Amino acid sequence: MNKLTSFIQNQRQNKPLLLMTHVVYGYPTIEKSLEIMQLMLDNGVEILEVQFPFSDPVADGPTITNACHHALEQNPKLTQCLQDIKKLARQYPQSRVLLMSYLNPLLQPGFTSLAQQMGEDISGIIIPDLSIDHHAMLDPLSNSGIAPIWLITPDMKADRIRKVTEQAQGMLYCVSRSGVTGQKSTDQLSTNQLSTAPKASALENMQGYLNNVRQFTSLPLAVGFGINTAEDISALKGHADVAIVGSAFLNAFNKGGLEAVARKLSELQA
Amino acid sequence: MNDEGRFGQYGGSYIPEILYSSQQQLLKAYRDAMNDAAFIQLVKSEMQTFSGRPTPLTYCANLTKMLGGAQIYLKREDLNHSGAHKMNNVIGQGLLAKRMGKTRIIAETGAGQHGVASAIVAARLGLECTVYMGAHDIERQYPNVFWMKQLGATVVPVTTGAATLKDALDEALRDWSSSYEDTYYLIGTSCGCAPYPEMVAGFQSVIGEEVKEQSTQQFGKYPDRIYACVGGGSNACGIFLPFVGSDAELIGVEAGGRSDAPGDHAMRFHTDQARFGIAQGFATKFLQDEEGQLQPTHSISAGLDYVGVSPILADLEEQGKVRMTSASDIEVMEAFKLLTRHEGVIPALESAHAVAGGLREAAGMSPDQHIVISISGRGDKDIFNIAKALDDEPFTEFLQTYLKEESV
Ligand SMILES: Cc1ncc(COP(=O)(O)O)c(C=O)c1O
Repeated sequence: MNKLTSFIQNQRQNKPLLLMTHVVYGYPTIEKSLEIMQLMLDNGVEILEVQFPFSDPVADGPTITNACHHALEQNPKLTQCLQDIKKLARQYPQSRVLLMSYLNPLLQPGFTSLAQQMGEDISGIIIPDLSIDHHAMLDPLSNSGIAPIWLITPDMKADRIRKVTEQAQGMLYCVSRSGVTGQKSTDQLSTNQLSTAPKASALENMQGYLNNVRQFTSLPLAVGFGINTAEDISALKGHADVAIVGSAFLNAFNKGGLEAVARKLSELQA
Repeated sequence: MNDEGRFGQYGGSYIPEILYSSQQQLLKAYRDAMNDAAFIQLVKSEMQTFSGRPTPLTYCANLTKMLGGAQIYLKREDLNHSGAHKMNNVIGQGLLAKRMGKTRIIAETGAGQHGVASAIVAARLGLECTVYMGAHDIERQYPNVFWMKQLGATVVPVTTGAATLKDALDEALRDWSSSYEDTYYLIGTSCGCAPYPEMVAGFQSVIGEEVKEQSTQQFGKYPDRIYACVGGGSNACGIFLPFVGSDAELIGVEAGGRSDAPGDHAMRFHTDQARFGIAQGFATKFLQDEEGQLQPTHSISAGLDYVGVSPILADLEEQGKVRMTSASDIEVMEAFKLLTRHEGVIPALESAHAVAGGLREAAGMSPDQHIVISISGRGDKDIFNIAKALDDEPFTEFLQTYLKEESV
């Protein structure tokens, strides 16, 4: 079994839901972003998703896009980023670290070199502009035990879900609604399917969506996009394995720095 | 299915999963439409009765005589409704959006030409229209923003990144990923994920098809060389593609800008600042740094400063079927002046790149050879930038007087 999968399953034995938090490498500075990561790991976040910034992040909403553009002013280097986060991963063996980035920065070293550079310490990779149709590109990673983490969306048809679950390793990243990261929370779930639905039935729809995906796979399900509050999180318990929170931490940081991040963490971990 | 739209190593589809179903829907609708003779006829008739096609092929007697080389002809896309070839594409895609039952179109625009063209078809077809435009471009091209608003479009300033065309394209993709149920993404050039490069090039190919007929009629053969400016590559694809495989030599002219330094030009060929990359939904040559970050661009003409280029042209160039060259801002202004003074045709600054490329080579050719230069658009939209480049003081005085009058 993939190492990320067994990690999540072990953790889940005594926790109803794991927390996966997202940080943009280099925002607001490289040093500060490493401090944010450390704070999260110190507070027992089970999975840390580190986004290496790209100039054209088409799947990200305004909060993360702005953070990426600011981060780029620091001239971040992928090789350095990998060294920095591998060090963190070794310092915090009770948590797992994932890399997230868009295709073009990752194509520069290429996936064979990337697999070597990521080594044992980075457990998986998320590439939002690579669809399952191109899964073969990531063979060098999966061959070295690094899980390519594929996205599932609410309007995916059964045959498409099956195509993903046939290839999937580690866990699945279930996008809670159409659109980009950030913006809406559970009371505005999925604009295409659920927009007019009242909150309670929006939740039901979300739970129905996850239960449906569950029928295709035994892999852990992580849910992200627009998760902001403790309430959002508790709604996922019993239906998902991991809650992914990104923009909410960036918004907290932008308002009140590291302290606000710590407060947000304790709010979400309550 | 997603192997569709490859051109050699370029093209393809690299889009977030959330766009998968809308792209599939578009692919299917596009194939269906292209197999429907009634749809093709509708596009053709709209091009004729709304945009004024066919556009003329104009002989340049004065410049030909002056240079003493090849016979020089212009393909007059500037005479389209809206003043640019962009119209050919928006007519085709607008009718497709309508056929798909969409009620809203979104578009990205750099100079604003594609934005205006999109707003025009939206008004004509009764579609809602949102145009994404870099905040920086809005500052440079306000007259086009003004017209888009008059036509009923909503213009959304994009402030992220470099706040130019590539950022506007990112923002349009983001909109599409949550709005595809009722919204059609009307891309402005032959870039993006499949089927956009093929589709836009297809609707633009009317340009080259007409040149085939007109050149045969006017000088009894196909041109020896054809020149077109290359931003995203749609007017170039349009005039070139019907001639691929013929004896006509096809020459694309990119924005050489101020210098060869990074950020000073928009050349995707003959520079190691541009390499194979995958971004904005497709693979092509992108101007990028060693970390794979897309780079800022510059050109005197807003319509040519895009970081990528049509995958169709990237592939044709690699196969040796298209030759790419460039013209600097200074050469472009010279070419602009020559064409305006000697032929009475005021080209867009984008098109003036093709003029620069053509005139540079015409002198060395023999009088029994013929060249065709694509005048992709007219220069009226560039009046502010041209007046500035020519240091025309009365124009500045005019603007000052205008402002004074406004405030009383
Ligand atoms: C007049 C004109 N010519 C050329 C272009 C460049 O686009 P393309 O390379 O797609 O023809 C533009 C783009 O705005 C334009 O307005």
